[in-house]
Amino acid sequence: MGEAQKGLLSVIEKLKGTTEQEVRIVLLGLDNAGKTTLLKSLASEDVNTITPTQGFNIKSVASHGMKLNVWDIGGQRKIRPFWKKYLENTDLLIYVIDSADKKRFEETGLELSELIDEENLKGVPVLIFANKQDLATASPASEIAEGLNLHTYRDREWQIQACSAVSGEGVQDGMNWICNNIVNKKK
Amino acid sequence: MAEDDSEWVVESIVGYLGSPEWVIPVTDFMENKCTVFDAEDENKLSYTEIHQQYKNLVEKLLENYMQEVGINEQQFLTACTSPYAKSKTLQVVFQPVLATDDFQMFRSLMVRKNMELQLQALRVIKERNGALPECLTDGVDVMTELQQQEMKILEEVLKKSKEEYDEEMSRRVLLEEEVGSTSSGCSDNPMAESSKQLISSSASSQEISTVKVNGKSIISEQRKTAAPEGGDGKSAAKIGSSAKPDCGSKTVESRVLPAVRAPVKCDEPHASSSPQTKTQSSSNQTAETWLEEAHREAGFSKPFTELSASQQEQLQQRAAYLRQQRDKLHALKREQQKNKQATTTEEPPTSPTPAPTTTPAISAEERKKLQKRKHLADKLKEEVIKK
Repeated sequence: MGEAQKGLLSVIEKLKGTTEQEVRIVLLGLDNAGKTTLLKSLASEDVNTITPTQGFNIKSVASHGMKLNVWDIGGQRKIRPFWKKYLENTDLLIYVIDSADKKRFEETGLELSELIDEENLKGVPVLIFANKQDLATASPASEIAEGLNLHTYRDREWQIQACSAVSGEGVQDGMNWICNNIVNKKK
Repeated sequence: MAEDDSEWVVESIVGYLGSPEWVIPVTDFMENKCTVFDAEDENKLSYTEIHQQYKNLVEKLLENYMQEVGINEQQFLTACTSPYAKSKTLQVVFQPVLATDDFQMFRSLMVRKNMELQLQALRVIKERNGALPECLTDGVDVMTELQQQEMKILEEVLKKSKEEYDEEMSRRVLLEEEVGSTSSGCSDNPMAESSKQLISSSASSQEISTVKVNGKSIISEQRKTAAPEGGDGKSAAKIGSSAKPDCGSKTVESRVLPAVRAPVKCDEPHASSSPQTKTQSSSNQTAETWLEEAHREAGFSKPFTELSASQQEQLQQRAAYLRQQRDKLHALKREQQKNKQATTTEEPPTSPTPAPTTTPAISAEERKKLQKRKHLADKLKEEVIKK
């Protein structure tokens, strides 16, 4: 594990008969950030019956003529060590932050910076969703960006997008950024 | 030339994928690992580990074969992407190979395999016993209904217990503040006096633990007095079950919790659960006040650190206790259901269904498993019928 697939497996990878461009997206963030809600909202599914994720969820979303395979992995502390097993061959990282959970801004910042340093995510574009903007106590995206020192990221594309996974506001804007970015990158 | 070449390669690979050298290890792997794969939407973390193992296995097998036959990766790739290999029938053959790269496909293969095994198991049971045991055929509705009822009861109990616990905690905090500043006037309650005697007599240590023990004895006594007040046939059950949330909220407890006894019989457990919790909560409250008084009389002021340490312990005890209680409930429900079935179905049981009396408390987990299996069986039946 840990390194890109080599040999036969990479050959098999090319065997898939789909003409569509497939994109692997990993959706991470602290527990209760709203990852699964975001995933379900991307897949136009009901977002009212979501429970804390113990494992992971996968949804495939068609967008801009691409097939986005989004992997949402549980964010509880005890699951976080497993994150790095899912980073291989990732085309894009979505990092979700609960904008109203100010107490854990530092924690979420640490987790993000650890991810950024992962070898498997080298140069991989990052979209940060400043989620839960529907809450009155939510911090604005600009403030969060500053707290995370996003402006110091020079080795990759990044974007921060205010959103509310519950209402769906801002989610599409983020997806548009993703699609534009990946189209640019892959061509 | 290249066409012919790729056709030969494809045929050779397809032949290999149908040979025992491939089929046996791959099937073995799937059968061994498929049991954790269920039809739930959410994936377990263990799936990833198994998928990785599968990748390694397939890679090893294919590599060995290709080396043996003399196919290189490029040939393999061109062969497999040729239009010949893209035909529908061959795509099915290639599925296990493609599953290395496609987690979703792998998952669905494993889920299907798991279902197949379950169906096989059912068939074996049927062959052996002539019919499926009752618990695997009908009664699904009854079970789910029962389960719902159980859940309701459990929720109720948990809620009540939590409420009382919170109440208790807040009172404790209050008490913390009061003790030391005011020495309250003691009541002429005989119970409190008895507790005072107990305290003075137990000269072993001036620790809070003595208070705890005393407090406990008061409460258990109180329980005895409270029970007859119920005044009906269910009082015995009340005692048994009132012991439960009591212990949960009786946070002073530091000793072994009293043995729990599931209600002997309750036809409408839901209905009977509310009065019992009511009487129990009142008894709990009075016991609480007595405990408080005993506490003041003793003149102890509890160090806060110790309280929080014991709180943790209590929480653990509480959790363990609730678990125990849940198992008891499950066991009880099972027995009830068995009895019901025994009475409603007059037909002689052709299958060796274990007698209700000989099956004591089947653990909650086993029950859950059984339920899942049944669900799966139903699903399979449905699918088979559809086909």
